[in-house]
Amino acid sequence: MLALSIFPLIFSLGLTFTNVNLFRRTPIRFVGLENWARIFSDEALLETLVNTVIFVGGGVAIQYALGLALAVALNQGLREQRLMRVLFLLPMMVSPIAVGFIIGRMVFSEGFGPINDMLQALGLPAVAWVTSPGVAKWTIILVDTWQWTPLMMLLILVGLQGIPGEPIQAARVDGASEWRIFRHIVFPLLLPVSITAILIRALEAFKIIDIIRVVTGGGPGRATESVTAYVYNVGAKQGDLAYAASAAYVLLFVVIGVSFLALYVMRRVQARYE
Amino acid sequence: MKGRLITRAFLVAAAFVTFFPLYWILITSFKTQLDIVVNPTYLPWVDFMPTLEGWRWLLTEARADVIRAITNSLIVSGGSAVIATMLGAAAGYGLTRFQYRWRFWRNEDIAFWFISQRMLPPVAIVLAFLLMFRWLSLLDTQVGLTIAYTGFAIPFTVWIMRDAFAQVPLELEESAGVDGASAAGVFFRISLPLALPGVVGSMLFAFVFAWNEYLFALMLTFQEATTVPLLLASRITSFGTHWDQLSALTLTNLIPAAILGIMLERFLIRNRTEGSLK
Repeated sequence: MLALSIFPLIFSLGLTFTNVNLFRRTPIRFVGLENWARIFSDEALLETLVNTVIFVGGGVAIQYALGLALAVALNQGLREQRLMRVLFLLPMMVSPIAVGFIIGRMVFSEGFGPINDMLQALGLPAVAWVTSPGVAKWTIILVDTWQWTPLMMLLILVGLQGIPGEPIQAARVDGASEWRIFRHIVFPLLLPVSITAILIRALEAFKIIDIIRVVTGGGPGRATESVTAYVYNVGAKQGDLAYAASAAYVLLFVVIGVSFLALYVMRRVQARYE
Repeated sequence: MKGRLITRAFLVAAAFVTFFPLYWILITSFKTQLDIVVNPTYLPWVDFMPTLEGWRWLLTEARADVIRAITNSLIVSGGSAVIATMLGAAAGYGLTRFQYRWRFWRNEDIAFWFISQRMLPPVAIVLAFLLMFRWLSLLDTQVGLTIAYTGFAIPFTVWIMRDAFAQVPLELEESAGVDGASAAGVFFRISLPLALPGVVGSMLFAFVFAWNEYLFALMLTFQEATTVPLLLASRITSFGTHWDQLSALTLTNLIPAAILGIMLERFLIRNRTEGSLK
């Protein structure tokens, strides 16, 4: 575990102080803080960072809300519950490559996609899913939400199984409404699991790249390009591995900062209930 | 009564949004290229003639490749899911039952260190893996890929199992201890069975993660140990996308994961701890 985690970390950190380039045959030398200085004047990096934060903030919030609702709905002992739990898990098992191509590209296609076709059949205007900078961000969030809400549902379902039944039954005997029981007993007990689910999902969402590359290619302009996509373009396409590693480190710092902040806030919320 | 109605309406709406894209993948696997890229068509025999071309390709020309890729995927994903869940359970149990202290490091810091391993973008570390695996002769082997995926999944399985064990009442373990059970006995007979829903969540997560991982499979395998995502990506060529083959393969790829889901779902049931505490 230590080897798997520390070697890549140090290796990439070392890269950031060099001029390693895949395509140029210049001798490798140390350039000190040159790459790091470039970071601060890089407007493209800033724009992709803002995009990434929008994807993570918007996407994970929607996924948590929907996942929580689904998990609670599928934990009430409905007759079809067991079948529905498995069926609702399916989207996260579909290969992201297929999700990007078949759903992102075909279903949301502005030319031959069924969504615009159905909207127009209902007399509504077609939506510019990938060609409008504002809408394209939402298309990415929608596709991401379709695929990953099931993971939220799964983790919250796991958490629901560990909640003791006595306080809920006692509250029910006292005549508390279902909403009050959820709000004051179930939800607080779900907080630790919620923190884990949100953190897991957010960490993966910060690295979002596949859907973007397939569905919008980062466009229009840079409207949907994430930091990881930017790192990939700089590193793999332009060959500038050293600068790509530096940009990746910027993302790492942002993620660590956001995680600390999020954990702190969530622990405070949790403490209020204890 | 009203609550039930709202629940059902919500589930029906969610079901439509969930299943329409899956339905689309299904019908796309029976379409000709022409039926796909001109206008959207919805119903077989009504607005397009279904063809078995995509499935024929899967079961004849590509058969050997498909079987090898699925076998590799099963070994790598199954192996890493089991190992990562076992190690995650051990670490998660330790982090909830014992207080560790090393300099200023506490349990919370250790847990954060685990999860921090997933913060660097994969493109930034894949090169380091390539070098490390070449040095260890692990390139293009099932073992190598299993080790990589286990490493990626552990941070998450530790957190999932930590939550699961935190929900197991301490009193139960203590009373078992008083009754003469050993520490290992308490873990395997009391704690682990009660944390079974966590094991389900952890296994499914780790399995699906490895099952669909693309970048590291691309960089660390070439021929012998290639997995299904690579085969899927090969359907997208610079001459165009073989939509029917891509869809057929996607559905085939979904089946083993769905079977695992069906097998594990039965353990997603409430802890039966009520009445066991007196």
